[in-house]
Amino acid sequence: MELKNGSRIGIIGGGPAGSFSAIFLLDLARQVDLDIQVDIFEPRDFTLTGPRGCNMCGGVISESLVQKMASDGIHLPDEILIDTIEAYTLHSDISSVRIDDDREEMRIACIYRGGGPTGAETQTPLPKISFDGYLLELAKTKGARHIPERARGLEWDEGFPCIHWPEDNQQRYDLVVGGLGLNSPGLKMFDGLDFGYLPPKSTKAFISELYFGDEEVERLLGHSMHVFILNIPRVKFIAITPKGPYATLIILGDGIDQALVKQVYGAPEIKKCLPQGWEIPVQTCTCQPKINIGAPVNPFTNRVVMVGDCSSSRLYKDGIGAAYRLAKSLAYTAISHGVSEEDFQRFFMPTCRSLDWDNRLGHLLFFGDALLRPYSWIQEAIITVIRQEQSDPDSPRHLSSALWDTFTGSSSYRNIFRRSLHPVVLFNLVRVLLTNLARQLLHR
Amino acid sequence: MLFHSKKSALGKTYEDGEIIIRQGEEADCMFVILEGKVEIIVDGESDDAFQLALLKEDEVFGELALFDDQPRIASARALGTVRVLSVDKKGFLQWIGEEPSFTLRILIKMAFRTRTLISEVVRLRKELRACQNKTES
Repeated sequence: MELKNGSRIGIIGGGPAGSFSAIFLLDLARQVDLDIQVDIFEPRDFTLTGPRGCNMCGGVISESLVQKMASDGIHLPDEILIDTIEAYTLHSDISSVRIDDDREEMRIACIYRGGGPTGAETQTPLPKISFDGYLLELAKTKGARHIPERARGLEWDEGFPCIHWPEDNQQRYDLVVGGLGLNSPGLKMFDGLDFGYLPPKSTKAFISELYFGDEEVERLLGHSMHVFILNIPRVKFIAITPKGPYATLIILGDGIDQALVKQVYGAPEIKKCLPQGWEIPVQTCTCQPKINIGAPVNPFTNRVVMVGDCSSSRLYKDGIGAAYRLAKSLAYTAISHGVSEEDFQRFFMPTCRSLDWDNRLGHLLFFGDALLRPYSWIQEAIITVIRQEQSDPDSPRHLSSALWDTFTGSSSYRNIFRRSLHPVVLFNLVRVLLTNLARQLLHR
Repeated sequence: MLFHSKKSALGKTYEDGEIIIRQGEEADCMFVILEGKVEIIVDGESDDAFQLALLKEDEVFGELALFDDQPRIASARALGTVRVLSVDKKGFLQWIGEEPSFTLRILIKMAFRTRTLISEVVRLRKELRACQNKTES
């Protein structure tokens, strides 16, 4: 079951997973002189503001993905960069610490997936290109055909998957790629192919675009992403990211509702990052997208494969980076080996498995964090160790770099886990804990 | 400007004449040119320095560092204002482990450079032989 000259590939979804798949499939096919036709079904207009043009995401491109794309010749043009990040500021209930990029280089990008938040159309100048729009255009320049329609159905036709779209159009494909997010209604369509696919377990995140204005964002946030590890029940992670005149608030946790959001806005550490006297606007560009927190079941069969959030992804971070990795693995499998279930099992599945296993470690890390979070003296010790690492240029920055990678999504949870448990980190933590304890006893 | 401030650009900016990497230095990353031109020079600090290559936007340099542990074999200097993005060796090796096809583009570039170098060696040998023949006759 191999791709031949003239083979057709249908990609459902023109977000990063779909566009990366098209780009890598076409690039690799060109390398081996294979002439393939790639169709991308994407009805969304990425130039539109608000939910109509957006694929609902925090909009941060990790350091590792920026580097990977640059190495692959995909250079994010300045027109899509809303902001860049040079540091992370960690806030706990007690104090804050800033972790700077060792290289003094901008390698983390803040982007919008669509044309910007609701209401951005009234401001000038507008962001010129959305990230998703840029990748889709890039796929088109590589030779992909964009069909601006929503695929309506999928069925088997003599062993080949067939896509239906409005006005009675249909096409049989040699390979169908499901490049969809968990929020896409198109996911249901894959039930029609009956190959036992089940989407991964998900939870809901909360994302809100807050308008502060350019100067206030610069003054309050700078070029730093602000990460909050606060003792608020059900909340795993809060981040505020600068994006030009906007600040993007991201809350990850379990069962996020209005009461919880209100509690987050009311936390003193959060208030420090909001303009004085600022009140939650009645209407903001807010969404609660589903995010992947598990592994899919049967993400492929003969001539059909799932990539992106509907397949294996990374827990709580760098979903676009995971889509990039799966798309690369898919292209290599399809072009170099074939499109049978056996080929995907042998060459594509190891990438999925590696992501899924790493997420298990991620769950363990977040579980450990939830256990320790109520103890403010542990938070204090962590912040003291980071401060000491940051203030001494000759000190090995084990904990700072582990946290940097946790926030930026630049490294695997396995690596972060290993570095967090480094003997030097443990020694420093115990030393600071004992010093603080002795100080308290003396004080009493 | 509202959305496109100068700071909203990736990488690091070097001014005209600034050395980006120095010959003999330890190497732990390669660079991708995002904007501007970079000249690769050998023996940059002595009088007989010469330009080995002139690279422009989208090209990479310092990529040998990703594959071996040797010091830099040449220096890179900014020609005009240049913006480059560094790619860490550590991360790169990890990504190859995750996805071998990741190296393809870098290998293609290295293959192209090897080809150019071989052509250059052949040309120089021919010139040398012509010179020797001339001297003998």
